[in-house]
Amino acid sequence: MSVPDLYELRQRFDNERILLCFNGPISRSLIEEIGNALRNYMKTEQASPVATLDVFAVYIELTQNIRHYAQTSQLAGADTATVVVSYRDGHYNVSAGNLVRIEDGEAVLKQITALAQLDKTELKKAYKEQLRKPRDEQATTGAGLGLIDIARKASAPVMSSLKTLENGTGYFSLSVQI
Amino acid sequence: MNDLKIVSTQSTPLIETDSNRGVIYMEGDSYPENSFEFYSELVSWVSHYLATNSRPLVVELALLYLNTSSIKVMMDIFDELEDAHQSGRDITVNWRYDVDNERVAELAEEFKEDCSFAFNIIGQP
Repeated sequence: MSVPDLYELRQRFDNERILLCFNGPISRSLIEEIGNALRNYMKTEQASPVATLDVFAVYIELTQNIRHYAQTSQLAGADTATVVVSYRDGHYNVSAGNLVRIEDGEAVLKQITALAQLDKTELKKAYKEQLRKPRDEQATTGAGLGLIDIARKASAPVMSSLKTLENGTGYFSLSVQI
Repeated sequence: MNDLKIVSTQSTPLIETDSNRGVIYMEGDSYPENSFEFYSELVSWVSHYLATNSRPLVVELALLYLNTSSIKVMMDIFDELEDAHQSGRDITVNWRYDVDNERVAELAEEFKEDCSFAFNIIGQP
């Protein structure tokens, strides 16, 4: 059995200024514990309370979206999340990825692209409209409100990608600059 | 009427109600995975309180972070309070926040936009 090259992994984390990384099946309690660690870390680093809350908020929406998707889609392996928080060039970045059915991934990509066209005022309007939609209608559009909320907290358009995998699935990634 | 005394957890706020004084108190973070389920007791308490008497209701909030599903539930509650206010009920919301964290004030402000009752956003040093 070979020993994994942890040094190489660590170097990559250091180079990319990654302060937190998680890869594995994500549970409710893990979301809470990692979120707590993230807040404490940012507090020790003397990040502003506003930045800390924004990063935490985006982290929660992303990870809870993944949990929600895994539960509703019943897609095997969809509850395995990859979450990365980094700090580069004066900005925190929160990224998350998970396995999706390719058509679901394409639908979210479309939503992200549409949201990227909106300015802050239009985003607020979209947010309030989504908030006023009946609950069952919200359920059909999935992560609508969460995605708008994330776009509102981002300091640059949210980036997303979908990598086609086998059996009609894909790997969906989303990256948010705070 | 039964009052609520729900202790806080990492992802859910403390919730206390006092039907004699007409007060709801909530403090902490709110990001449960199923907000509708978590808040169902509070939602029923509010409906019951409004349906069974005509006394004022004061909502004292020291909430910090709300995930979007908690925001949705809070908006439903504020909508119900707004309807009661439109029918002549005395409703007050006092939302206290740490002045270092303007995000909390912005969140409260967005709720306030849709309410015509007294909605005080109080910064604390």
